[in-house]
Amino acid sequence: MFPTPIERRSVALQRLYKTALPIAMVMWLLPLIAVALTSIRSAGDITAGNYWGWPTSFNLIQNYSDIFTNTPLGSYMWNSVRVTVPTVIGALALSCMSGFALAVYKFKGDMLVFFMFVAGNFVPFQILMVPVRDLTLQMGLYNSVTGLALFHIAFQTGFCTLFMRNFIRSLPVELIEAARVEGVKEWRIFWFIILPLMRPAIAALAVLVFTFIWNDYFWATVLTQGAESQPVTAGLYSLNGQWVAAWHLVSAGSIVAALPPVAIFFLLQKHFIAGLTLGAVK
Amino acid sequence: MHPALLGLLTIVIGVSGCIGYFYGSNLLLDKVIFPARGPNIGRNINRANLIRPWLFLFPAIFALGLYLAYPVVETLRLSLTDRDAGGAFVGLQNYSQMFGEPKFWEALRNNFLWLLIVPAGATGFGLLAAQLTDRIRWGNLAKSLIFMPMAISFVGAGVIWKLVYEQRPVDVEQIGVLNAIWLGLGGAEPQTWLTIPLWNNFFLMIVLVWIQTGFAMVILSAALRGIPEETIEAAIIDGASPFQIFFKIKVPQIMGTIVVVWTTITLVVLKVFDIVFAMTNGQWETQVLANYMFDKLFRANDWGVGSASAMIIMLLVTPILVWNVRSVRKETQ
Repeated sequence: MFPTPIERRSVALQRLYKTALPIAMVMWLLPLIAVALTSIRSAGDITAGNYWGWPTSFNLIQNYSDIFTNTPLGSYMWNSVRVTVPTVIGALALSCMSGFALAVYKFKGDMLVFFMFVAGNFVPFQILMVPVRDLTLQMGLYNSVTGLALFHIAFQTGFCTLFMRNFIRSLPVELIEAARVEGVKEWRIFWFIILPLMRPAIAALAVLVFTFIWNDYFWATVLTQGAESQPVTAGLYSLNGQWVAAWHLVSAGSIVAALPPVAIFFLLQKHFIAGLTLGAVK
Repeated sequence: MHPALLGLLTIVIGVSGCIGYFYGSNLLLDKVIFPARGPNIGRNINRANLIRPWLFLFPAIFALGLYLAYPVVETLRLSLTDRDAGGAFVGLQNYSQMFGEPKFWEALRNNFLWLLIVPAGATGFGLLAAQLTDRIRWGNLAKSLIFMPMAISFVGAGVIWKLVYEQRPVDVEQIGVLNAIWLGLGGAEPQTWLTIPLWNNFFLMIVLVWIQTGFAMVILSAALRGIPEETIEAAIIDGASPFQIFFKIKVPQIMGTIVVVWTTITLVVLKVFDIVFAMTNGQWETQVLANYMFDKLFRANDWGVGSASAMIIMLLVTPILVWNVRSVRKETQ
């Protein structure tokens, strides 16, 4: 605990510091607190104007079951799962292989391929919108979970490949060389030596990609429409449009929609932060 | 069949397909095409090793080519054609039409405002939060809470902040947090925050700053931890104040990371769409480029001008792209 400049300061300043910080935290979380509070109020409270006082009744269970029975939020949630899980698996499978190739082999054009992956990472997704929409229409996958997942896999593979390549580069080369000297086949090196060592990278990327895809809204509106194929972000948007006055339901809906990524974030915080740090600093 | 079972089956087929491709293609290469035996064994092994990287790369390159490279070229082509003329080549007509629209200039102005404020705000707050939570007991909890908005979708955040900016008539109690505070502080009457021109842009930016601060904080706090203690010790012995230590010792040492965080958030800002779309949809002079483009494509159904505005976004991203590719190249050499 060195240095501790704050503890050498005067008592008054210390007090100020210690009280200012929690207040700042509450301010920071105020929007979330407001939404959480609204989500357990009754409709009566909201029309009567009782937003800040003690709720007349706690409608936790009623509000949260209402959004599943009276709105199609449940089916939106299920669609999100159907898009997100295959995307995470697909993008990771592809990027493990391509990351391995870029990190381990020297071949003609390897740098060119690598720079293309770097550049692809920075392409603004809007520029892809019209052609990707047309492509999906032509393949007959418009307005289907498959079409959305396929695109996400392709787009995320670029980012994941870079990440994997940098991670494999940081592993000791001697491992691979030793295996080669022993006469181990290349595909066995990948499968039995590199892949097990990549577990931390895979975990970090899985968490990161899960959050990206779960929270995507842009492609959901571009490639799908309607409750039977749209994910929960789009569902939340239309819920907000339809239930303008019913803030208790909209609040409950936005909390439910945010729950999976937030839960994953809290459970797997270590991997999440490792992913962000590795991805940004390289 | 039950949908969950169907989903599981799809995943199993997909994964086994990947493994099958990986195993089968390597086997084919080593056993059938260039077998490691016979008179040409040396040449065969070398040739097999030349091809192998491409076996690993092929699925990813194919996917990216189809969904990334081709669309970029296609959008460039679309931006030079006209829909009403049956997709005929019209040169730069779409661009000149776009430059003649006040909405486009409004979007461009707002994008520049976003670019000025959001990366600076998020990085600044992130640095402040990283420093302040660094050496206190509940610092990790505070960090988790500051970071939490990052896990929420932009649309979800937009909806949440709409509640913050909500406005009710004068005589009823305010549901919006901001109006409640505003009246509590002695404001005359509740404001419709999102319809005040120019200011509403800042109210939208706050949402993105709120989300991105956590990201900046996490990265910068890792960088702060990496600063060698001796430099700080030496500064304390020399009698530097905490502010001097922070600004003259710590910040210069993590400048590289600050730049990375700044550019990463800049990229997010250039593509900002969900927040504006969900909260104001570009009304009341809050238009941004990405939303302008979406408007052109989906409401006006004009892919010529829409693609042209996409190219403008691409143009704005290009310097960052080139700079990144060059710095990666420097690293690898």
